[in-house]
Amino acid sequence: CSLFNLEASLYTIKGILILDNDGNRVLCNVCCRWLCLSVCCAPACAHAPLCPQYYDDALPTVKEQRAFEKKLFQKTAKANAEIIMFDGITCVYRSNIDLFFYVFGAASENELLLATVLGAYYEAISLIVNRDTLEKASLLEQMDTVLLITDELVDKGIVLNTDAESLARIATTTKS
Amino acid sequence: MAHRDKKDEEDGLVNPFLGLEKSTVLQEARAFNEMPIRVSKCLMILTKLLFLIHQGDTLGTREATETFFSMTKLFQCPDVRLRRMVYLTIKAMSTISEDVIMVTSSLMKDMTARDDTYRGAAIRALCTITDNTTLQSLERFLKQAIVDRNPSVSSGALVSSLHLLNKGHDVVKRWVNEVQQAASNNSAMSQYHALGLLYHIKAKDRLAVQKLVATQIKKHLSSPFATCQLIRYSLKVIEADPDANHDDLHDFLESCLRNKSEMVVYEAARAIVNLKNVTARQLAPAVSVLQLFLSSPRPVLRFAAVRSLNKVSISHPNAVKTCVLDMENLITDSNRSVATLAITTLLKIGNEASVDR
Repeated sequence: CSLFNLEASLYTIKGILILDNDGNRVLCNVCCRWLCLSVCCAPACAHAPLCPQYYDDALPTVKEQRAFEKKLFQKTAKANAEIIMFDGITCVYRSNIDLFFYVFGAASENELLLATVLGAYYEAISLIVNRDTLEKASLLEQMDTVLLITDELVDKGIVLNTDAESLARIATTTKS
Repeated sequence: MAHRDKKDEEDGLVNPFLGLEKSTVLQEARAFNEMPIRVSKCLMILTKLLFLIHQGDTLGTREATETFFSMTKLFQCPDVRLRRMVYLTIKAMSTISEDVIMVTSSLMKDMTARDDTYRGAAIRALCTITDNTTLQSLERFLKQAIVDRNPSVSSGALVSSLHLLNKGHDVVKRWVNEVQQAASNNSAMSQYHALGLLYHIKAKDRLAVQKLVATQIKKHLSSPFATCQLIRYSLKVIEADPDANHDDLHDFLESCLRNKSEMVVYEAARAIVNLKNVTARQLAPAVSVLQLFLSSPRPVLRFAAVRSLNKVSISHPNAVKTCVLDMENLITDSNRSVATLAITTLLKIGNEASVDR
């Protein structure tokens, strides 16, 4: 793992989550890569699969993931504070009518970098889902586009593109 | 009241993803085999499938493989959106389904297609299913993609190469010339990915890293992300050899304090306060930009600044003395973490006079 030690690594995003106002998952795209880096730094983890499964070694089961999400939600639902730190993560978030958007990285991560990613994500989604109605129902209607935007934004923990307009454009191209 | 009505109305709406049954979705997925392909129906099924996987549902190897196989039929349809969703599903299923390698040729065709819209995404999907043996046959295409003029194509190839470093370090190492080219003449984000890849290829060779950083700081990187990364690498170089003369690197860090991107300014300030043998003269400008952030209307900036200053206050309490007033304003901050950090910082630098206030 020395190859990708945290501070100099391009794997900056640990996860992206969208929760609804009950704290349930709307979308969860957690990059396992980081967790492998931060939790175990044994040589063995160099062979950990780069898989799109969510929460790798630290939170391997769905039960643990949900517990994390619940904790995150409880800590963020009431206070609209934009940023929070706990359990070795820095999390920036944004909420609107009935949705919570989270982007999180390592505790040592540049907070403004995370905020830039979150800003781009929120903005891109707003561009495709009409700004006045960015809420759960309209988001669910365009779930495929949201998935495509997420994919263009971050690739396995590496920030890929933070230009909201081009994110929205790429994700909504329909012509062949 | 209006709000409540709205909520009730919403609850009446059918959430298509609520209470999805795995077996039902897999059953529906048989529609992939139907001809002609119904795009919107297939899009919906793929979304449901991804939703199930994201929710943590576990698919058995056999059912996953069967679904994966029928999904490959969708490659016959030219719809871009459908194609992109197929890529996402390939990536999501790459570890649960068997024989994913059979889509290699379809993806290779897409990554070299004339239409730019999905080439980058095709490369990223392809590299997810690539193993060591197929990597060799992809080498030529990936090298070309790295220097491609379209930023999404070159970024896609660069990021994929970075992921592949673990699997085939020796192969990726050979692409250093192409990566170098991408680092100097491409879009902002490609610049960032190229710089990152160059660093990781050379990370084990201290002199090579030194040389890389020395060349890059002379250029003016347009991407804030790339600049942040370069700041981190500069810090590494200084830490690796603390006794050598690093004036050029120190100058670079200081110049970044005047960058127009707040992200870069903060990264530079954070790097300077984290230097092991930092002098008071080096510390002062970094502390003053952090002090400016303390009164920002954005909680994220206040948080970042107070966290860094808290760290400085442990090693150099005197350097933070100038921030006492701004820090006191944060004791009642709406963000609890900011308030807590401000209090603990004040305790470290405080004396009897400030306790009174």
